[in-house]
Order: sequence, then C-alpha cells, then structure tokens
Amino acid sequence: MRFRSIYGTAIFLATCVGSIGAEDWPQFRGHNAAGISRESKNLPVEFSHEEKVLWSLELGEGIACPIVTGGKVISTTMIDDQTFGVFCLEAATGKELWRRELDTGATPAIMPPNAQASSTPAADGERVYVYFSTLGMLALDLASGETAWKHEIPEPFYLLGWGAAHSPIVYKDLVIFNQDDDLTPFMIALDRRTGKLRWRTPRPEMLAGYAVPVICKANGREDIVIAGSGKLKGYDPANGKQLWTCNTLLRTIMTSPAVVDDLIYVSVQSYGDTDRVLKYALLQWKDTNQDGKLGKDEFEKPFWAKFDKGDVNKDGFLVEGEIDAAFQAPTNMAGGGNIIQAIRGGGTGDVTKTHVVWNIENTSPSNIASPLVDDGRVFVVKKGGISASFDAKTGNEVWSKKRIRNFGNYYASPIAGDGKVYVMGENGFLVVLRQGPKVEVLAKNDMGDSCVATPAIADGRIFVRTLKTLYCFSEDAK
Amino acid sequence: MRSLLITSFLYVALLGSTNGAEQVTVVVGQGATDLEHLAAQELVSQFKQLFDANVVLTDFLPDKHQNLVLVGGPQKNKAVREVVGDSWPKLSDQGFILRSFDAGDRRGVIVAGDSPAATYWAVSELGHRFGIRYLLREDIYPDQQPLKLSGFDELMEPELKTRTWRTINDFVIGPESWGVADQKKLLRQLAKMKFNSVMLSVYPWQPFVDYEFRGVKKQTGMLWYGERFPIEAGSPGRTAFAASGEFTNPDFAGKQTYEEMTAAGIKHARGIIDEAKRLGMSVGISISPLEFPREFIKAVPGLENARGLKDLTVAPGAKLRPDDPVIKELVATKLRAYVETYPKVDRIYLTLPEFPEWEQHAAASWKQLSNRIGDGAATLESLIKTARNRSLIASGDRGEHAIKGNVVTLAFLNELLADSTVLQRADGSRVDVTITSIDPALYPVLDRVILPATSTLNFIDYTARRIVENKDLLASVPANKVRSQLITTLADDNVGILSQSTTRSMNVLVDQIRELGWDGFSTRYWMLTELDPTVHYLSRAAWDPTVTARNSHDDLFVTITGEQSIADRLWLGFGEIEAATELTDKNNIGFAFPVEGMLMKHYQGQPAPEWWEKLNEHYTQAMIEFYRSHGPADPRSQAFLFYYAKRSEYVLEYLGCVTAVRAAAIAKQDGDIDGAIEQLETAIESLYNAIDTLGDVAQDPSDRGLIATLNAYAYRPLVAEYERMLDAQ
Repeated sequence: MRFRSIYGTAIFLATCVGSIGAEDWPQFRGHNAAGISRESKNLPVEFSHEEKVLWSLELGEGIACPIVTGGKVISTTMIDDQTFGVFCLEAATGKELWRRELDTGATPAIMPPNAQASSTPAADGERVYVYFSTLGMLALDLASGETAWKHEIPEPFYLLGWGAAHSPIVYKDLVIFNQDDDLTPFMIALDRRTGKLRWRTPRPEMLAGYAVPVICKANGREDIVIAGSGKLKGYDPANGKQLWTCNTLLRTIMTSPAVVDDLIYVSVQSYGDTDRVLKYALLQWKDTNQDGKLGKDEFEKPFWAKFDKGDVNKDGFLVEGEIDAAFQAPTNMAGGGNIIQAIRGGGTGDVTKTHVVWNIENTSPSNIASPLVDDGRVFVVKKGGISASFDAKTGNEVWSKKRIRNFGNYYASPIAGDGKVYVMGENGFLVVLRQGPKVEVLAKNDMGDSCVATPAIADGRIFVRTLKTLYCFSEDAK
Repeated sequence: MRSLLITSFLYVALLGSTNGAEQVTVVVGQGATDLEHLAAQELVSQFKQLFDANVVLTDFLPDKHQNLVLVGGPQKNKAVREVVGDSWPKLSDQGFILRSFDAGDRRGVIVAGDSPAATYWAVSELGHRFGIRYLLREDIYPDQQPLKLSGFDELMEPELKTRTWRTINDFVIGPESWGVADQKKLLRQLAKMKFNSVMLSVYPWQPFVDYEFRGVKKQTGMLWYGERFPIEAGSPGRTAFAASGEFTNPDFAGKQTYEEMTAAGIKHARGIIDEAKRLGMSVGISISPLEFPREFIKAVPGLENARGLKDLTVAPGAKLRPDDPVIKELVATKLRAYVETYPKVDRIYLTLPEFPEWEQHAAASWKQLSNRIGDGAATLESLIKTARNRSLIASGDRGEHAIKGNVVTLAFLNELLADSTVLQRADGSRVDVTITSIDPALYPVLDRVILPATSTLNFIDYTARRIVENKDLLASVPANKVRSQLITTLADDNVGILSQSTTRSMNVLVDQIRELGWDGFSTRYWMLTELDPTVHYLSRAAWDPTVTARNSHDDLFVTITGEQSIADRLWLGFGEIEAATELTDKNNIGFAFPVEGMLMKHYQGQPAPEWWEKLNEHYTQAMIEFYRSHGPADPRSQAFLFYYAKRSEYVLEYLGCVTAVRAAAIAKQDGDIDGAIEQLETAIESLYNAIDTLGDVAQDPSDRGLIATLNAYAYRPLVAEYERMLDAQ
C-alpha cells in the first residue's frame, strides 16, 4: 500500500519558510526521521563518485548527515582537531554560500566509528541548529551563517566512552534536543527564535543512547516520542511532561524509531541476552584491574557522585547490586537482545500491556542503522548486508536474512524515494534496491570512500556524505 | 641545521622575550658533527613539548645560566670541557652520560656520548627519563611538567653492542612495500631506541643490483616474487588506500622495465643507507651469494633450478664442483657489483642457503674445513648425526641437507674470500663480512670454520619459541672468539598474518646471549603490528640487565596509558597473543603463511582441529583486554590501543572465515551443496569483515600490504569458489 504521511507533509509545509518549490530534508533522516522522500522523482539508480556527480566538495572528516533546507545543503566537518566547520552550499550547484569555523577547545575522547562532527543539524528555513559536545547548541542564520543564539548544554559523559552523537529536531517553534548519556540524561526544548529554554525534562532512567526524537500524531495529540533504555516514552511538546511509557525496549538504543500514522516502529539490537544489564558490561569493560569490583579510579570524575550514591557500604568499591544502584535505574533494568516492535502512540500512563501492536524477537536488526518503514513494510539491514522485511501491520516476515550483495558494516540508515531504497554501507558502496516485497538489487554504487552518514534526498538529488567528501548525485549531472 | 644556531647578539635578545616561560639554553660544540647537531635539534624540540620552554640553541657557553644543556662530549664541545675539566669519564664509543652539574653561576645537565651516535642516544635517553616513549611509528609525550635538570648522574654502556634492524626482505606484507619516505620515518624512531645497525636483506630476483657475467646480463628485477596486487573498487579494506588501482611500493610506482625497476631499486636502497648513516648507524647488505636469477643458468654449466617460492633462482647443482673457477668468478662478480653499487655499506652478510642442495661435495669440503679446524675436528658423519637428531625444523633429512650444504658453501666462501679484492671498494678499503645461518652443528668450531675477522649472524630456528627450546645451542657458540649476533624473530612469516608477540621468549634469549657474551641481535619480522612492546623491551634490555619483559612492558604502558591497572590488562592481552603465536607455531607453523592458496588450503573435508578453538580463545581474550584497556587509557595512547583491539578483532574474523571454509568443504564432501554455499557465504562475510577491520586502522605500508595480500590470496579465491558452487547449484 502506498501512502503519504499527512504528518510529514504538515511538517514540511510548516517549515518551508522562504523555500517554496524546494523539497527539504531538514534533519537527521529527513522529515520526522523517516528517511523517506515523497517529492523526489527520477532519482538516479546507477551512479558513483565519478558518475552522475552534479557536484562534490571535499569537506574534511565528518559523519553527520547532510540536511537540505530551502535549496541549501548544510554539512559539518572537523577542519582540524579543535575547529568545527559548518558549511552551507547551494544545493543545485555546490557553491559555498557561507561557512563557519568554530573553536571547540579540546575535544573529549570518542570511540570510532563515532567522530567529533557526528551530530546532524536541523533547520527550519530561517536558521540552522547545530550541536557540538563542547559548544552546546547554536542557531546559525541560514542566510548569513551568523550566530543567532547559543545555548549552553552540559557536556555528555559515557561510561563506555562512546562520545556524543545526539541530533536536534525542529518542531513548530521549538528546537528539541534529547541527550541520553550515562550521567544526566535529559530532553530540552528551546525557543527556535531566541534559544531560550522552554522546558527541561530529566530522563533519569536512561542510559547512553542516540535515538532522535520523533513526532507521533495519535489520539488527537502530537507527542514527542523517544526511544531510550528499556522504554519508549511519549512527551507533551507543550511542557515536556511524560504522557506515556512502553517498557518493552532493550538496554542500549542507538537506532531511531520510524512513525507511520499512529504506529511507532522500533528495531533494536543490544549486545547480550536479556539478563545482560549494564552491570555486566561495566564489569567486563570498566573493571580494568579485573578484581571483580569497580573502584572509583576506574571511572571518570564526573561519575564519582553516582559512584558514591551506589557505594552503600562506603568501602570505596562497587560490587554487584551497588553497581546497579549507581548507574542503572532500579525501575529500568533492561538487558540485551534483538527486537522489532510496533507500538501504537497516543496512550496514557504505562502502555506496556495495551499498546504493543506486535513484537518479534529476531536477529535481523542492526544496533545502529534504523528501520525504514514504507510501502507497508518494515525494512532492516545489518552488518554483512543482511536484510529483512516485515509486514508493517502484522510483523509477519516478508523476507529474512537476504543479502543485498554488499558486505561490511552498516552505520547509515536506509532511506527511500522514487520507489527505490538506498542503503549506504560503511565500505563506501551504496546499494539501490527496488522497493517491493522481495530483494531486488538495482545497483551497487561506489562512493569511493568509507561512509557512516545517512544520505539525504531532496529535489531529485541524492546527497552522500562520505568520510571526507560531500557528493550531490542527479540524473541532471553531465 | 647549523643555520638555526643563535649568535650571542641574538641570544640576548631572545632571552629577553620569553613571556615567563622557562628559559633553556642548549649548547652544542662548534666542532660538532651533523649528527650532534641533529641530536641538539631533537632535544630543543623535546624540551619545547615537554616543558613549554623557551629553548635557544647556541654554540657558546653563556656566563650565567641556570638551565643549560650541554650536548656532545668534551672533544667536540668546549663548553663541556669548561664544565667538567678533567673529570670526563672513560666511555666506549657507544657509551654516554646524563650528568647534572652545578658550577656556580652555571647549572644544567650534560648530555653527551663518546661518539656522535652515542650523543644522539643520550638525548633520546634524556627524553625517555622525562617520560617520552618512542614507538615504531610515533613518540608519545607525557603531560607538560616543571623543568628539572638536576639529579642526573647516569653513565650508560650497552650490554649488547650490535642492535640490528632488518629491512627490505620479501613479501608484500613486509618492508619490501615501504617507500624510502616511510623507511626514513621508521629509522628515526629506531635511532631514538638506540638501534645502531641496519641490514638490508635482499634477494637475487629483486631490483637492487645489476651485473653481467660472460655475456649474460641480469634481467630479473622484481618485487614481491613478481606478484601484483590490484585494489579494485569492490576490494574489502580499500578505504585504507588513497585510490583504487594497484598497491605498489611508491618508489617503484609506474616502473615497468628491468632498467627502470633497477634504477628505482638502487635509489631506494641508497636512500635507506644514507638515512641510516645520517643517524649514526652501520649498514649492511645481506645476500645469498650462491643464488642467481634464472637467466644465469646459461652462464655457468652446472647451475640448476633452486627450490623456493616461485622457483625464481638457480644455484650450483651436483655437477658443479666447489673449486670450479667459473662459479667462483660468477659469485665474485655479483659481490663486486654490490660493493660497487653500495660503497657506503660497512658490511656484507653472506647468507648460506635456506634449502641447501649443493651438498654432494660435502666430504671433500669438510676435509678442507677440518684442516682449518685442526685437532679435535669432528667427523662429517658425527655432524650429520647431530643435525638429524636435533629438535630444530632443520632436523632429519632436512638437517642432513643443511649441514652438508653448509659445509660445501662455507668451504667455497673461504676460498673465495681469501682473495681480498673481492670485497674491496674503489678506494681500496674492504667491506666487512658476516656469515649468516651457519648450521648449529658447527657452532662449537665456529671461529675456526670461518676466515679471521669474519663475524657471524646465527639463525637457530624460525621462531623465538623454538630457539628458547634449543637455547643450549647458544652456549655452544664461542662468543669470546667470534663476534656473533642472534637472529631474533619478532614475528615469523610462517605464522604469517596472525597477530604475534614474542616479548617473553625474547626476554629468555636476551638474558642468555648477554650472559654468554654475544655481540647482539638482528631482528626478523615482516609487519610492525604488535611489535612495539617487544622492540621496546629490546631497546631497553640491550643497555640494562635488570630490564625484563614485564618491567619494560610497564615502563612503556604505565607511562603512556597513565595506569598500572591498564598495563596489567595489556600484559595479559599480549600474553594471550604470545600464547596464540606459540600455539600456531607448535601445531601448524604455516597456518597463515602469506602466499597463494593461503586460505583455500583449509578447504578440506576434515573436522577442524581442536587447537583452532583454543587459538580463537586466545585472540578473543586478547581483544577483550585491549578494548578494556582502551576506554580508560590516557587519550594520547587510545589510538595506539585501539589499533591492537582492532587487530585482534581482525584475527578473530579471519579465524571465523577459516572455520567456515572448513565447514563448507565438509558440506561439499557430503553432497550438501546448499550447506556448502551457506558456509561459503559465512566465510566471505567473515573475511570481508576481517579485511574491513584492518582497513579501519591501517597505519603503514605493511598494513596495507596485508589487505592487498588477503584480497589476492584469500578473498578472490574464496569468492571464485563460491561462484563455482552457485553454478553447480
């Protein structure tokens, strides 16, 4: 069944200030993080870093997704160790309209494939909202690149050293930013014009995770929905108050949900079995001297307050239950596993037993690449180029464990447009599939370099951000 | 370099513009050599990074100064003479001192050796004392710290006088793939680790020399046994390469003809030699004197095809007598060509053949050698018995071939080298000679089977573990009578492409050769990969008998990671790698030898051997320890630790591939085509992941050479078999 997301269109119309006629891809994975272009036609199938290149620009190292707003492309990069670059280019030509070079100071440690320039900006046709771990949130004027406002955000900390990679979204007059780290997870809403804080909602039950917030329209409401450790939660955009929680997720959430109508689809792979709560990961990786207990010196200083809270007997070590008490909320002892779920939005309170439409335990999901829900199917792809597809209504398997003829890792999420699915492999090959009930590889396109970022689609063009270069592909390319 | 020296006028001006930073004056002698200037410049650079100091380099001694660093000995540096007077200690040409002084208005430290090279090492040692750690690819600096030049009173002399680094060698995974630019970077790191000798190990088919004999001109000049390594768009790991195309040594890129290759090869080798010389190292070239490219079969009747990879050479056969003047003339021609091409080398290493076939004349040759040995010479039969019964790889029939071939070749070389003009340079001086790989059965009479003033480089067996098992042989070398170095295999090409470590075994061997009075060691390896802890151990233990594998490990890793507990984890991690190395060596030394067929030789319908599981466990545990260490480590060392973790991850994927290949063969044998295809898919995926993982962290040409090797010898043949099976389906 082909359908058109009414909500997606509404967002599109609401955010197209000054960009009549141009299709936008205004945030991570486009409208509402769905990864779907509705307007683009005649998207290229066979192309490469040397073929059908409308333009390209070597930007330097970065893994954030490009976004498109009002005929302009925004992409970020690390110009050097302590300089964060934001580039604004004309989408049709690649002409540089402006660039900002921002001094980041010393950057925190980060675990590859994550990188410093990893947060995808969001835009509303007037401003671009960019986040960087040491800078906080900045609004840059889309026309000039000048800083419109800056909002300080506490630097995130990760027990396992993954590093920041959270991306903002724009909803109506708000810039919403969720920062699930291991220290002080929270969500904030900023006034998109002034940067002033509208509300701040702590998420104390959460561990580090990277899901981008999505909007779900259901039951006469528009809720902010965030997938986090163990729980999918809905919030009221007006005040950030929690409306509902569905406690069916796993410990580590790096994928973002996809919303179709009133259903929220989540696919997750979290390391270990269902009993593997955070404690075991910490004992495996943080107990550097392997004495079976965690010493304070095995944690970064910002975690010491949490450590002290967990160290009930005050012996200077965390053991067993103390580890749980310090870092994982007793109300949310989620473990590992593999799941794909469809959860109905619009609930109230604990909807765990009432709103799960279907839930399958299946080894298909990736831990990082998000699901693509379109045309009545949920499509997932993981390491090795192994794909699976499920009926969006029932969760029934359409196909399972089919290879898309490209091995390697998959960190980028699949996207779709013009009846095709684009799957970007970390090895630099972008596989094009025909959208349909079976796997049909149309092309395997060489981007010439490693790629972690999810591509963007707008106005019949595909924007691919490899590790070092931004490409624009189009059938119009000579 | 010298132009950076500051005159007294400028000196005063510079001292007045320091913005509160510590002021340090480095004084180098007016008669200092280039290497001493280089040492001083290195010291200036280190002090700026270590102390954020304002460092001025001069060649005169300022009147009043509290932070003086005097570089170079009193012969070259008048400032040192002024400060120490007659109290300069007695040093060997390798000895050096780090000595603080307080002479009233002048205070500081003397950093000086009895030779320019020793002064360079003194500078690097001072950096080490301040917390710099020299690795094979980089230096890791500590946090900036307060300047403190007092308290030094060190006199260092080497325990092992010759510390040789081998290079060029063979295989695409080896330094044969390194261009001069990369070689120079590595040599500079080695100089800081006080290596004082470089050996260019070259082979007859390589393009490093040109000669002609009786109308036959050398026409073979190739790298990597003539193999080529395309990197296609779809090649896994290709992101480690600047562009698709072909993996090449950059110094040979685009060279097609023999003449072009040879010109490039000579330029390449001279580049290495010049840099090593600049850094105060002695340089030798190692050749196999009795092997020649195949075109020379026409030059000397009696030459025959020799055994070896790709059968690229000819060597004397049974019909050729050792006293045949023509073969003697050919060998002399070849040696002269090397000496003429590389007059700057100090030494020629003459390697006895790995697979000796010139053995038919052993009895007559032994008679000659016996005459040299004199009283007490063993019989050839007893030598053969010893060689057959020992526990080296060269035992049994191979042991017999080895001793017989050795005897014939040694007798031949003694005759040849008696002519002093063979290794004479144009200026009349003579290149030194080292005989390599003399059979251990001859060790007790080593000093008498070679010519006077000849030294030896001794290969006992392929792996460090095997030498440890036969360490008694070390004691049979008369090290007090003949200068002897031990070939220390840091990573063996037979164990091949797996992660390897040998530090613990190396500890045993170094202790042994030090006690026995050996001259030193010469490394053997192909990739740098996991070598840093071992090389660090060698660099420290060669100067200090109290250094052990463990305390040198801590000296390296506590310093760069900031935590003893991390060093403890890494000790376990490298222990697992060493256990895996030994397990492979014991069970199937050629398990991952990097040649054609390296993967598909495992495509056999037999159950996987049990030791594979244990091997998997070792590498899994190593990976866990490396990742565990990576997280809390000081950021400066994180990339370094991440490399190890990813390398272990790569090995695990590779082992997964080998296991799946075996399972596929069993399924195929059972007629289960679908099952075989499924296993081959698993194998391809694992191999892809293995190579891709390497691509994520590839740092040097050997790392990229490994990716090229795996694509050529593993990935493509595996995919080809998969496609054949699909067709069969």
